[in-house]
Amino acid sequence: MKYNRLTIEELHQKLINKEITVEDLIKESKELEKTLQEKCNAFDFIIDNVEAKEVTDNMLSGIPYGVKANYSTKGILSTGSSNTLKNYVPFFDATAIKNLNKANAIILNKTAMDEFGMGGTGTTARTGIIKNPWDITRMCAGSSSGSAAAVAYGVYPYALGSDTGDSIRKPAAYCGIVGYKPTYGMISRYGLFPFASSLDTCGVLTRSVKDAAIVVDNMKGLDENDMTTFDSSNIHLYDSINGDIKNKKLCYVKEICDIDNYPNASDELKAHLENFKNVINNLRDKGLEIDEVSVDKKLLNTVASVYNILSCAEATSNMSNLTGIIFGPAGAGESVTDQMKDHRTKGFSPLIKRRFIIGSYVLQRENQERYFKNAQRVRRLIVEAWKELFKKYDAVILPVGSGPAKKFESDKDVISAETTILEEHLQIGNFGGFPSITIPDGFVNELPVGLNITGKNYDDANVLNIAYFIESTMNYKNQNSEERK
Amino acid sequence: MEFTKELVDSLADKLLIGLTDEENKMVLDEFDVIDKDIDIINTIDGIESVKPMTHALDGVELTSLREDTPKETPDIDDLLSNATNKIGREIQVPKVVG
Repeated sequence: MKYNRLTIEELHQKLINKEITVEDLIKESKELEKTLQEKCNAFDFIIDNVEAKEVTDNMLSGIPYGVKANYSTKGILSTGSSNTLKNYVPFFDATAIKNLNKANAIILNKTAMDEFGMGGTGTTARTGIIKNPWDITRMCAGSSSGSAAAVAYGVYPYALGSDTGDSIRKPAAYCGIVGYKPTYGMISRYGLFPFASSLDTCGVLTRSVKDAAIVVDNMKGLDENDMTTFDSSNIHLYDSINGDIKNKKLCYVKEICDIDNYPNASDELKAHLENFKNVINNLRDKGLEIDEVSVDKKLLNTVASVYNILSCAEATSNMSNLTGIIFGPAGAGESVTDQMKDHRTKGFSPLIKRRFIIGSYVLQRENQERYFKNAQRVRRLIVEAWKELFKKYDAVILPVGSGPAKKFESDKDVISAETTILEEHLQIGNFGGFPSITIPDGFVNELPVGLNITGKNYDDANVLNIAYFIESTMNYKNQNSEERK
Repeated sequence: MEFTKELVDSLADKLLIGLTDEENKMVLDEFDVIDKDIDIINTIDGIESVKPMTHALDGVELTSLREDTPKETPDIDDLLSNATNKIGREIQVPKVVG
């Protein structure tokens, strides 16, 4: 029997009814893990002897899952896909992992990612390029690349991701699955390797909206080790999903969605936006109210710049503890400074070095005002523009990216300025800490594409419910990269 | 401000990172992008009067400060478990004082 297309609810029911055993699930996951690793290089670390756990009332009990390599997992290699931590084995679990352990969830492997989350292509992991299971000549996007590939391939129903700019939600779109970044502070970041702390959010990649709700219900909660967490004990995501969209209103932004903004649009971009338009029209026919709104284009054009400056600056500061002295392979040298420099010079990839230096530059006293502070100021203006939309609308609905997964030879860094806002608008969700979910909404060139729904802070249940309704109007729930072919 | 190879090396040195010539050039090229970025940001009217936003839930009172009570601290062997060079309960580094 194949379990790799079943939802968490279905798997749980079968476990409870003893139609399958936990050992069966682990065995099948391990077989799929092996073939996917050969095909796509999705894993940073594979656990050899995975032990079964007892099935309880908790829907995650006895079900295997994947963990992005930047979560601390007690006794399990946790590298952040960086050579600077290639031998690092934490002595504690991240709070999110601890919470999933309480649910009797089973860690199967650590998924590969762009080094420390600082990339959007899946090409900078210490273990090599991560390929898209739908088409291995294409990227998964990043940084939660391995998690997205593994869930799309059906290794397990969910894998953990982290999202600083769009690192859960874009790989989800490229791999035809669901990616959910909850409100900032809903899931503790304790034990997640920090990249840009004011933007970093834990979340999950799944094949259905309900599965995302189940997993985050188990991951979230107030944590004294992360003072930015909030009490979400009154939020029950799974129980809140009923598909009722009466009186719900959405909007999309003309300056992002209208094909006229892109005079040099590729065929894939045209098809992607046409598909989005058709989805919107179909949703309107089914009773969802969706308006077109306008946002100042000048402000939208700053999104990518603000993200670059803020994320590089915060990363520079966060990564200063990577010295090879306390953890990571020790560097060589006559002095402590020489040893640290050797460790960092050899350990970081060129892309990371570049980001650190830019971060350091914008934080220099003489540059702070012009670069860092002004980026923070515009961050506020962008967030206020979205909050203004939320006064009238439950959520903003937008297409993800400028088409399906990109070919490896297309360098993300040289994407035409024309489509920058389409590629980068998900960063707004991180600027404001907004709950944001990507779901698949069709195919372009036989490859999946996605749309995103972003709502106001703490309104996760509403956002997921709208996403659930939209998912139910289409045929892409629980799709799997292998069975489609 | 003029961006030079020397400036990039000096920034890298402060971060304890060594760069190859190729990496140095990559950063220099990127500085042009960053400067273009900041030019876009500086086109926003009245930007000087906006309060910088430092946190995603800016304006929200954080309520989860913990009580100031002593807690159990991690075991020293755990803390040292990932250090390459150690002697007993201490990390070993080259001599730092004369």
